[in-house]
Amino acid sequence: MPICPVCRLELDSWMDISEHIEKMANEKSDPQHVMWLNRHISNKEIKKEDLETWLFNYFEKPNELSLWIRKRFIEKFYSHKPHPFMLAMQKPTRGVLLGYVLEHRHFLQNWVKVLSLIVFNTDKDDVIKYELENISTEYLGINGKPSHYELLIRMGESLGLSREIIFSTDPLPSTKESIETWRYIALNRPWIETMAAMHSLEIAADRSNKNYGAKIHYFDIEILNSDKYNKEVKDFLREGYEADIGHTGEALNLIEKYADTRKTIENIKVTVLKSLDALDKYLFARLERAMQFEPELIEVIKQ
Amino acid sequence: MIVIVNGSIVGTKETGCALCGGTWGNHYETIEGHNLFFCCHICAKAFKNIINEAKRRGKLENIEYIDIKGNFYKGRIIEARDSKKSYKFYVKFSDEGEIIELKELSNS
Repeated sequence: MPICPVCRLELDSWMDISEHIEKMANEKSDPQHVMWLNRHISNKEIKKEDLETWLFNYFEKPNELSLWIRKRFIEKFYSHKPHPFMLAMQKPTRGVLLGYVLEHRHFLQNWVKVLSLIVFNTDKDDVIKYELENISTEYLGINGKPSHYELLIRMGESLGLSREIIFSTDPLPSTKESIETWRYIALNRPWIETMAAMHSLEIAADRSNKNYGAKIHYFDIEILNSDKYNKEVKDFLREGYEADIGHTGEALNLIEKYADTRKTIENIKVTVLKSLDALDKYLFARLERAMQFEPELIEVIKQ
Repeated sequence: MIVIVNGSIVGTKETGCALCGGTWGNHYETIEGHNLFFCCHICAKAFKNIINEAKRRGKLENIEYIDIKGNFYKGRIIEARDSKKSYKFYVKFSDEGEIIELKELSNS
């Protein structure tokens, strides 16, 4: 039985879901349902029948869950109109990279907190091992290599911000709201949904995205060989570039393995969409922070 | 009052919500003497916050024209005008329609 992607109401068919959403939007002007339609389908009203077809195609295809997650991610962030942050990362300026550093420190700290809750809530050994390894790579560092967190801070220092400033800067409100979304998921949804919500985000830097229809990579790979960027910037970007392909594939396989009922799968999809929405907002927060260093980035808003 | 969202005149069910331009929903509010269509009460609240800031910070009186560019994620660039002057600013709203970021832009 399909569920409403906004309030998770369970109904018999996509037609019933379509009628429910249409009623919540047009009769009750319910902000959550209206916003979902605006952000996922179109801000122009469509007929109930068309909405039903759209919902069916969107939620039922492709059949394989891991592929569904990849597809939804790529169409939101990497399709014909890539996310402005991804575009800015093709030739990142100092301001863009500093915006990244100041907001991402908060993201990464929250990342390991949420992953710890997955460990706390699951009994699956392979999931526990996977998450602990991920936490180590991101936060502690393994095999003598610095953590991703440390590499981020070093990048910030190399671009002129002191460690003190990086650690004492509060997140922007949009970053805070996104983090609250991920924390809400971790505290209120089953571990498998939390796992899907978090590791779907790692698709952002997955090298194989172009195989799934992405128009661009997370950043221009030439940066790694360019003399226009310093060692610390390249070290940080390279780490993500090399790590996330393994991270993402393995996590998606685990999610697929343990998503054993239709209801679980439906709920994972709804949670993933909420997480991607939070990511969208968070990526703009990085640009917003970048505007403090480079006010001309306001042009991104006008585009 | 003329309201433009991303290049189109809005404010009725047919033309779209006076904040986001969407045509879903069915919420109306009278603002500055004009009956305006909004997709939901949060957009109406955000719009009223825009009006209040334009009046308070920009010292505008009877607002005749508002141009809104952007969206929820990016934030919005606003240009509000009365019969004598205009006021330009960047604003970002929370999920509840509260202002979480506001920057004055060059006002000449």
